[in-house]
Amino acid sequence: MRSLGYVADVPIETAPIVLLLLAFGWRLFGGYPRPPAALLRLSRREVSFVAAAAEALFPRGGAVPASGLDAGVPLWIDRWLDALPAGTRRLVRLLFGLVEQATLVFPAPGWNGWRRFSALDLAQRGRVLEGWRTSRWFVRRLVFTSLRAIVTQGYFADAGVLRALGLAPRAIEAPVTSADALYPPIGRPKAAILFAAHEVRVHGPLDRPPAGEPLGVSGPLHPAYREEAR
Amino acid sequence: MSRRGGVCVFAEYERDLHEQAEVIVVGSGPCGAVVARELAEAGRDVLLIEEGPPFTPADFALDGALSMARTMREAGLRATRGHVMPTMQAIALGGGSLVNSAICVRPPAFVFDGWADGFELAHTSRADLDPHFDAVEAFLGIAKTPDAVQGRRNLLFREGCEKLGISCEPIARNVRGCRGSGECFTGCRARAKQSMDISYVPAAIRAGARVYTSVRVEQVRCQGRRASGVTGRVVAPFSGRPGPAFHATAKAVVLAAGCMATPLLLLTSGELANRSGQVGRNLQFHPGVAVMGVFPERVDPQFGATQGMQSLHFLREGLKLETLWAPPAVLAVRLPGAGLALKERLAEIPYASIVDAIASCHRSLGTVRPRRAGSLEPLLHWRLHPDDLPVLGRALEVIVAVLFAAGARKVLPGVHGIPDELGPGDVDRLRGRSFRAGDFVMAANHAFCSTRMHGDPAQGVVDEWGRCHELDNLYVSDTGVFPRCTSVNPMLTGMALAHRTAKALQDRL
Repeated sequence: MRSLGYVADVPIETAPIVLLLLAFGWRLFGGYPRPPAALLRLSRREVSFVAAAAEALFPRGGAVPASGLDAGVPLWIDRWLDALPAGTRRLVRLLFGLVEQATLVFPAPGWNGWRRFSALDLAQRGRVLEGWRTSRWFVRRLVFTSLRAIVTQGYFADAGVLRALGLAPRAIEAPVTSADALYPPIGRPKAAILFAAHEVRVHGPLDRPPAGEPLGVSGPLHPAYREEAR
Repeated sequence: MSRRGGVCVFAEYERDLHEQAEVIVVGSGPCGAVVARELAEAGRDVLLIEEGPPFTPADFALDGALSMARTMREAGLRATRGHVMPTMQAIALGGGSLVNSAICVRPPAFVFDGWADGFELAHTSRADLDPHFDAVEAFLGIAKTPDAVQGRRNLLFREGCEKLGISCEPIARNVRGCRGSGECFTGCRARAKQSMDISYVPAAIRAGARVYTSVRVEQVRCQGRRASGVTGRVVAPFSGRPGPAFHATAKAVVLAAGCMATPLLLLTSGELANRSGQVGRNLQFHPGVAVMGVFPERVDPQFGATQGMQSLHFLREGLKLETLWAPPAVLAVRLPGAGLALKERLAEIPYASIVDAIASCHRSLGTVRPRRAGSLEPLLHWRLHPDDLPVLGRALEVIVAVLFAAGARKVLPGVHGIPDELGPGDVDRLRGRSFRAGDFVMAANHAFCSTRMHGDPAQGVVDEWGRCHELDNLYVSDTGVFPRCTSVNPMLTGMALAHRTAKALQDRL
């Protein structure tokens, strides 16, 4: 029996399998860059995938100038994942891993189209996503819809994107109701309740907040969505 | 907490709690809040228990996904298996009323006639329930949405319907002083929506009810034919991290935890009230499809009542049409494309009006089961019945016609198998076209029938007054008791039935 020599007990006939496993291991785990910022939940692999998907779904330019990366989609998804229940978080991670590796089965066009999703160039990533979107298999379309929904949520979380579309929320001064003398902000003790009962006017069985003017485009933006809030 | 009424929040719980009351109400959504207030007003000692926290305006997240992660179970990502369809249930004081669009509709008489005929219900006609509808509507000040806060998006729907001779009307809502912020789904910052946390629950507290928030009821205790109380645990807001134990005893228990949680509580409490085998079965939804029309002029759809206009014209066909607004990221799920093409579509949102249809799919049934033995997390299984599919196809056809009649220059149907964009000349292409269930991007937040009422104890879980057939003092009061879907938004019907349940329970205590 011949051996690989430097690994004395490994028969040389198994070399192709070992190489294949090494290549697969590299595909799964190797070569991912270190993330630019400390993250709460996303692994190095996942942040690479999310960044690649965000750029492919929302490339720079076009009707809204900001790209998915400009809008900080990976950081938003990291924070959002942190807010999810553990079981749901696992499902989302499974989704990311599935699309990242599925180019083995549904490759992008080109001789190198079988590389993992995050290693493809922008045009190839766009073609891969289009394949998921227009598939005749419901499950593939569902995967695409889910991924795009997550990335889109992150894109729209950016105040600049909402301002560019004219969809940023307006400032609203909330009238005080009797409920505001009952509940503190979440996680705070009742000592943190903002209003005392005698400060709240109760108009019969229910409060009737004063009817303010209907909101419109001319109203001031919510402070968190103003240009100067950046 | 004193017996004079008040609310307990998570930060106050330091040790195990042992409480006593005349009536325990589990769940502070629209039905539970009504029961609690009515019984407290009648002088009963009421304990209202809610798993979620109370939200103040400062706690609302404007970011749609983060808002869902905070206010919805499973962060808003709950979905059925079988036919995969998202379905959301709230976890907050006030339940779904905190994050719904406040639609209040009395179902027409034929809906209740169908209930009576199919489920041996002799006392649940529209006339029987009208006094209870009246009481709830009067308390909440339910009124039709005025034109001043409709916004262009809602008024376009009216124009389209009028051109086609389709009847339509402003939606009646539990709202006072609406400013048309279009933020119903993330919590009303204007405090205009009379969600339960700012209407019925404070009224219950004023009448002496004690409200425990961030407490999850895990089991209903029984002795023979009587419920003796509940046990549970304090849970941290959002994380669900368990805290001190909670025990309470009472003369009567009302489960108003919602169509998903109530059957699980019954099943995990030793198959309570399930001799019929109907607990957790018959799950029905109103699957909804939404379509976006793009208009030549700017619509600014974010302004105006979230859902301000409706049409009941096709109700007998199983369709209710409504206008719709939601956080843009949620709406964008239905837009076609990716990359720069998708961005072009996003830029059309300010020119868009969205119409949705909810479909009465009462042939499409599902189940609610514990995900694991003893778990309170539901495993939902549901399939769209082939005979219900044409209703969705018809919905698409009607909505597209209305949008073009209103002046849309194109429509984005968001349905697999037909073009991403339709022009005015394409309406006929939809007529009579057949679809598969997977072609539609559906969602359904109206859920019913998992603990249905039935005159025959062998075929239902509760009687017409919400009392479990097998137990003398255990009641169910949520949309699970509906024997069949309502064809219209279910909140008001649930509240009217809850009002009746409270009156019946008051007489029996």
